[in-house]
Amino acid sequence: MVVNQVVVVDVINMIKMKKIVIALSLFSGIISSAQEKDSTLVFKKRVLESVEVDFLLSYYNQDGSKSAVSGGIGSEELTDIATNIVVAMPLNDDAVLTVDLGISAYSSASSSNINPYDNGGKPTPWQASSGASQSDQLTSVTANYAHSSDSRNFIWNADVSFSNEYDYNSVGIGGGIAYLFNDKNSEISLKGNAYLDKWNPIYPKELNDYEKYGANSINGTIWDQNGQATINYSPTAFKTISSVNRNSYSASVGFSQVISKKLQFSVFFDVLQQQGLLSTPYHRIYFADKANYYIGQAQYIPNYESESNAGVYKLADDIERLPDSRFKLPIGARLNYYINERFVLRTYYRFYSDNWDIQSHTASIELPIKVSDRFTVFPMYRFYTQTQSKYYAPYETHLSTEKYYTSDADLSTFDANQYGFGVNYTDIFTGAKIWKFGLKNIDFRFNRYQRSDNLEANIATIGFKFVMQ
Amino acid sequence: MAKKIILGILLGLIFQSCNAVKEYEKVAINDPDMKLSARTSERYETTFQVYREAAAGANGGKSGGGCGCN
Repeated sequence: MVVNQVVVVDVINMIKMKKIVIALSLFSGIISSAQEKDSTLVFKKRVLESVEVDFLLSYYNQDGSKSAVSGGIGSEELTDIATNIVVAMPLNDDAVLTVDLGISAYSSASSSNINPYDNGGKPTPWQASSGASQSDQLTSVTANYAHSSDSRNFIWNADVSFSNEYDYNSVGIGGGIAYLFNDKNSEISLKGNAYLDKWNPIYPKELNDYEKYGANSINGTIWDQNGQATINYSPTAFKTISSVNRNSYSASVGFSQVISKKLQFSVFFDVLQQQGLLSTPYHRIYFADKANYYIGQAQYIPNYESESNAGVYKLADDIERLPDSRFKLPIGARLNYYINERFVLRTYYRFYSDNWDIQSHTASIELPIKVSDRFTVFPMYRFYTQTQSKYYAPYETHLSTEKYYTSDADLSTFDANQYGFGVNYTDIFTGAKIWKFGLKNIDFRFNRYQRSDNLEANIATIGFKFVMQ
Repeated sequence: MAKKIILGILLGLIFQSCNAVKEYEKVAINDPDMKLSARTSERYETTFQVYREAAAGANGGKSGGGCGCN
């Protein structure tokens, strides 16, 4: 009996011992795991080491002879100065918050001719008027939060954006994920965005006055095609716009691959859907089957379409009308090759198609040349070609019987060549300092843009990157 | 035929990449000029191109919002 009791006690003790051993094992496992995690945390490289600030400044000017505001004829002169400050802040080892503040101020002959009649009695599509719509500014802010996994193989991000100009505002939300695999040689990414925009429509002055105050509301004598005074101007096709929203949705799939020690590529497949007011309310239309009416000085009517027209403006028949839906399908690819320590080759190609019958091809090439440890110069060239939208027709060729019409040359058939150069200065030791910030990089670029329909533009940009120390 | 050739080249490039390049072999790949995205200073050019041309998107940048009407 006693022997049995001893055996039972031994068994109980053994069970207790086993429990203790198992508990200790589990505990030591947890401790070990925690230590591993701790060591991971200790040696994990931060996604962004310190605050970085990008300051960007751009100057753009253009001129052409197919102003959409004047129905596909007239000056397209435009000057724009834009600046952005982009601040990237590490919130912790894994997360970065980026805030992008921008302001852009422009003056434009096109937009000034929404009301061309305040030009000292000499309205003309070939010169800017002094109207209030001559200039405007665009302000924008975007905040983006990005988070990387401990392995740095998975990244997700979310962003929100706002922008505002006199007759337009936009709210955007978006997000995306990226997954790296194959020893970080391959990456697949998904991205989605929605922009909920709203117009505050502005109409050509004569149409706005006709709609509000009636046929005889236009201040000044109206002339017919023969230079005779008339009261017959009656743009009955014009109706104000009731639906002022424009929503844009996009989804993007990207794939990138390191092919060798010197070669890598990426491809992007985007799907974009726009809905709502896709036309611009102050783009004029002149119908071929409607009589012409003018305001200003009648002697300039015979050479209205020439730049020698210094004082007469044609009254609109209607504004541009376009469908309330547009589906866009662009596919793009980049291929970069590291030729040697002095030369790199950067290439890009995109095919684009939409349901307004526009197809386009874009190809660009850039050849960065490292002239020293700190300086890189990069000549570049870009070619673009597109076919016209089925809703486009040039100045005064649309018929009033059509449902949709635009004379915006941006939707016409054309080719464009863009060529320029850039200079990049990089100082990884950030020797130059402003307050707590070291200057890491200066990037300057200049490009000239020439379109086959005579639109020409120049753009210069300079960017400074500072790193907090 | 052309589509098959392009597809073949793409597949060839992808299969060639099965031999993963190690991190310590990526000196050239990690060069700033080798980034598979537009340069930061390129953003204004992209913006005016979106305004002046019908095509947009598939460049890793913004593809909507804003009227682009001037």
